[in-house]
Amino acid sequence: MNLQTPTVRSLIFIDELMVEGTSKGNHMTIAVLLKQVPDTTAKISVNGGRVDENAVSKWSFSPYDEYALESALQLKESAGGEIVAITAGPARCEKLLRDAAAVGADTLVHVSAENINDFDSIQVQNLLAAAVQKSGASVVFCGKQAADTNAGSTGPGVAELIGASCVTLVSEVSSDGGGYTATRPSSAGHEKVAVSAPCVFAFDKGICEMRRPNVRGIMMAKKKPIETWSVEDLGVDIGANGVNIDSHSPPAEKPPGQKFEGADSVSTVVSKLRDEANVI
Amino acid sequence: MPYEALDFYDVDSLLTDEERMVRDMVRDFVDEEVIPKIEHACRDGVFPDEWRVALGEMGVLGAPLKGYDCPGLSYTAYGVICRELERGDSGLRSFASVQGSLAMYPIWDFGSEEQKQYYLPKMASGEWIGCFGLTEPDYGSNPGDMITKAEDMGDHYLLNGAKMWITNGTIAQLAVVWAKLDGVIRGFIVEKDDPGFSAPEMKGKHSLKASVTSELVFQDCKIPKDRILPGVKGLRGPFSCLNNARYGISWGAVGAAQACFDSAKEYSLSRIQFTHPIASYQLVQNKLAWMLREITKAQLLAYHLGQKKDAGTWIPEHISLAKMNNVDIALEIAREARDIHGANGILDEYCIMRHMANLESVKTYEGTHDIHNLILGRHITGIQSFTREL
Ligand SMILES: Cc1cc2nc3c(=O)[nH]c(=O)nc-3n(C[C@H](O)[C@H](O)[C@H](O)COP(=O)(O)OP(=O)(O)OC[C@H]3O[C@@H](n4cnc5c(N)ncnc54)[C@H](O)[C@@H]3O)c2cc1C
Repeated sequence: MNLQTPTVRSLIFIDELMVEGTSKGNHMTIAVLLKQVPDTTAKISVNGGRVDENAVSKWSFSPYDEYALESALQLKESAGGEIVAITAGPARCEKLLRDAAAVGADTLVHVSAENINDFDSIQVQNLLAAAVQKSGASVVFCGKQAADTNAGSTGPGVAELIGASCVTLVSEVSSDGGGYTATRPSSAGHEKVAVSAPCVFAFDKGICEMRRPNVRGIMMAKKKPIETWSVEDLGVDIGANGVNIDSHSPPAEKPPGQKFEGADSVSTVVSKLRDEANVI
Repeated sequence: MPYEALDFYDVDSLLTDEERMVRDMVRDFVDEEVIPKIEHACRDGVFPDEWRVALGEMGVLGAPLKGYDCPGLSYTAYGVICRELERGDSGLRSFASVQGSLAMYPIWDFGSEEQKQYYLPKMASGEWIGCFGLTEPDYGSNPGDMITKAEDMGDHYLLNGAKMWITNGTIAQLAVVWAKLDGVIRGFIVEKDDPGFSAPEMKGKHSLKASVTSELVFQDCKIPKDRILPGVKGLRGPFSCLNNARYGISWGAVGAAQACFDSAKEYSLSRIQFTHPIASYQLVQNKLAWMLREITKAQLLAYHLGQKKDAGTWIPEHISLAKMNNVDIALEIAREARDIHGANGILDEYCIMRHMANLESVKTYEGTHDIHNLILGRHITGIQSFTREL
């Protein structure tokens, strides 16, 4: 058996004419969509069927967004350009933008929506798509899903709305100046997908954890202005609530584990591991 | 269980956004890089070099100093940094205290322009480590009677003597050494490779095991004339450094206490004896309530002192009170936490015993607990009682 992971290089050229300003030295603007979520290690309490926001002890970047931001920073370092960090939500989200600035985001955009929890995913995508367009970005980096709702619809949804190609489950993006090559998993291992702007990359776990800020970055972040855009500023009709979640159900319970003790059980355990679990 | 920093009175809400961001940065560093490695570092008796690199990259060394590529943060931010580092380990905080307050600060305040430009940027980046040589084998609480001396040989100085208990000594590229020149205490910068200088490590510590402690030996150690710190004479030099380091310790001790409290709280909730969690028994609750009370008071002391440092309205006695009190309660909290953990409290699976052993050093260095009592006694009465000789 060949244990090496085969690499498939699939080239998908969307529309050569749509390539705008992505060559080296030209101005590339990457919008990074960031969502503030309760930290995955923070204790949460539920009130009225919802997470009690007032009781959340720590808010953080949604983890996949961190990979998107780190990859955008690396792309900027290798290919030049500018990073616009965009978040939609209530005032507490400004902290997230400062954190993004501390690691290197150039422009900070807060789409102010105090009642974001009342919006469904399509309405949020409408808001974000309008913000991306207003920011002038032709490339969008975001997480594949948010750690709170796990819906996974933002990247493809925004791409649809701005007429961009979309690559999902991305771990890495590079640019040769003309277009972008994204690495994503395929049935055979990994594949590299080439696209041109406008394009959206929805990140899975990337190759690097988000960098730690430093004092210099923090001090610069403090001085950086935050552009606040309201729904009205964006002039977008986000439409009516269209997505209804009928019910939630917990995952099916796992069958109980089996316990074996003593030297006598070794042959049973080995055969189960080999024949049932297929791990040896 | 992820660490939850006790902040009963929400004192951190008084911090600026910038100070909170610095706190989160250092706290994440400690969670990710220090806690997983600290027990190994202690067992091996080493200060992991990657921590030096990370502290330099974060840009927290010499936190409150301005210019010369130094961070230029507030004293309050410096305190917060110390607190978060010491939540990890007092040895890590010691490294940062010595580098910033005891080695960089004297160069920044008393050094020549050339010395500042040459040394400070590479110390702020962590490229060069500094140490501070004041204590001698026979002169600890009483450094004024030190015997290490410097002689002016015309085109160089000659140092002779020995320093002891010097944090970072063996791993340092430079030492700020206090020695007597014509009977007056002066500061000198000694570099690692200066002839006649050696810095053997002191082994066998049961405390601050992840911190390097050394002797500094000067045998006809020859240093160029431009290595004297021109800006200060007498004990004011070393004492102004100590004031800054002691201030940082008053915050640092809070971090160690918070770590012990957090562990004791979690443990008491999960440990079942006599069919109930031990946290449900009044005697244990009394201990936890006492810890909460003392940590809250210590936090308020540290924060208010930070504001006074930033406003420039402090006196050294304010620092003595905070250093003495906060280390004292942190040590007591570590002991109570050890008790709550029962036998588990002595294992390195928990941070307790390590913090407890560390805090014994912290109680002694930077002015022993009782020396600070004497400083306060003199302040109250106007009568010094350090010595009968005056
Ligand atoms: C891990 C560690 C790291 C250190 N790092 C450094 C460093 O980087 N640089 C440096 O210069 N030093 C360093 N020190 C030394 C430290 O500052 C001294 O240990 C401290 O000043 C106390 O001196 P001593 O140990 O000689 O104790 P002593 O001064 O001998 O004190 C012993 C006891 O006598 C008491 N005592 C002393 N005088 C009086 C008095 N007049 N009245 C009442 N009680 C009194 C003290 O309170 C104490 O309880 C370090 C020490 C340790 C343990």
